[in-house]
Amino acid sequence: MELNWTTFLLEIINFLVLVWLLKRFFYKPLQAAIARRQAAIDQRIEKARKMEEDAQQLQQQYEKDLAALERERELAREQLQREISDERKKQEQELAASLQKKREQAAVVEQRQARELQRQQQQTALEQGSRFASRLLQEGAGPELQTRLQALLLDSLREIPAEQLARWQDRLGADGDTVEVVSAFPLEADSRGQITQALQRALQRDVHCHFAEDSGLIAGLRINMGPWVLGTNVRDELDGFARLERETVRDG
Amino acid sequence: MAENGGELSPEVLFQLGPLQITSTVLTTIGIVVGIALAAGLLTRHLRDQPGPVQTAAETAVLAMEDAIRAVAPDHVRLLLPFVGGLWIFLVVANLIGLIPGLHSPTRDLSATSALAILVFLSVHWFGIRSQGLRSYLRHYVTPNPILLPFHLLSEVTRTVALAVRLFGNMMSLEMAALLVLLVAGFLAPIPILMLHIVEALVQAYIFGMLALIYVAGGLQLQELKQTKTQGESHE
Repeated sequence: MELNWTTFLLEIINFLVLVWLLKRFFYKPLQAAIARRQAAIDQRIEKARKMEEDAQQLQQQYEKDLAALERERELAREQLQREISDERKKQEQELAASLQKKREQAAVVEQRQARELQRQQQQTALEQGSRFASRLLQEGAGPELQTRLQALLLDSLREIPAEQLARWQDRLGADGDTVEVVSAFPLEADSRGQITQALQRALQRDVHCHFAEDSGLIAGLRINMGPWVLGTNVRDELDGFARLERETVRDG
Repeated sequence: MAENGGELSPEVLFQLGPLQITSTVLTTIGIVVGIALAAGLLTRHLRDQPGPVQTAAETAVLAMEDAIRAVAPDHVRLLLPFVGGLWIFLVVANLIGLIPGLHSPTRDLSATSALAILVFLSVHWFGIRSQGLRSYLRHYVTPNPILLPFHLLSEVTRTVALAVRLFGNMMSLEMAALLVLLVAGFLAPIPILMLHIVEALVQAYIFGMLALIYVAGGLQLQELKQTKTQGESHE
């Protein structure tokens, strides 16, 4: 452990040379390389930062465009909804009108069907009534009924208006004085005489009566004077009743 | 005429006139040449996309810069050659003892004293360079001239401590290794080698860091005085 001055001095020189060599050949080139790389990194960072700014601007622009599109879409959607609502209201109104019209038509048809049904029922009732009355009268018809009907006929001859009688007289004058008297049952002689006298009295002239029989009349008489027919018999009454039924049903 | 100083003493290999060339000097020259060649080869083809070797070198330089920046932030480029040189040289010099037949130059008190003297001189060199001789020397008599002996004593003792610490540690390390080898033969070479490596790295780091702190202390002392003076003049 002794100090060697030669070693001491040479060590100093050696170390100073080493420091110079390191500074010249080690630190400076490495620091320059690091600085170059750092500059390149800074440049890339700056470039990246600029790209990021551009990207952010693009993103902001994109978001702005997106917001505008969204607003436009909302407006279009609102307009479409309004149009749909209007169209729906319009179609609902048209549908309501159509339904009302169809309801009215249905009501009319229903009323018509009801009337038709009522008419059919009335007709059926009347026909049944007519058949019932016709059958009842056919069952109950006889000379007595004919006598009563003859009396009614003779009474009605007295009540015929004068104008009607005048027209009969004119007509009979043209066609002759023969009057056809049809009865359901054979008439007695006095009945025939009463009828003839009643006709002569009503027409104020001589009348030649031709008596005939027709069981289709059921009971009563029918007097044919040219185009005029004067009847008081069950058949004509039933036919008149049937006509009245048809007219009533048709008018009803 | 060669002089053998024993296993623990540097061997004088030859003499050039009045100069005794010891094994320490030759080893140091070899280390310097090797480091210079390695540096030259490493920095010969630097690329922007560095390979593993370049990356390791740049990492080492950046680590040294960071260490210097932590102590003296404003003087990284100024102090890097000297402090970095100390670290690189001491790491290689401490570890070269692992090669059979070679001895660490730092087990020689002459070598560590030379490095300590360089640190001592560099403290004053950087201080005077930054503030001038008169301003630098003034801090030895401030705040009171009575402190001058203590300042001088501090300068001497820390320089001596710097030299003796490194010498003592490396010498004791080699001596301990030698004793272990004598006692245990070759049964325990690996732990000893590991201890040698750790100790070599730690001592290199300590020496370089202390040198850095001393130099940075001188620089910042001047800066502190200057700042205080400027503050007083403003007041």
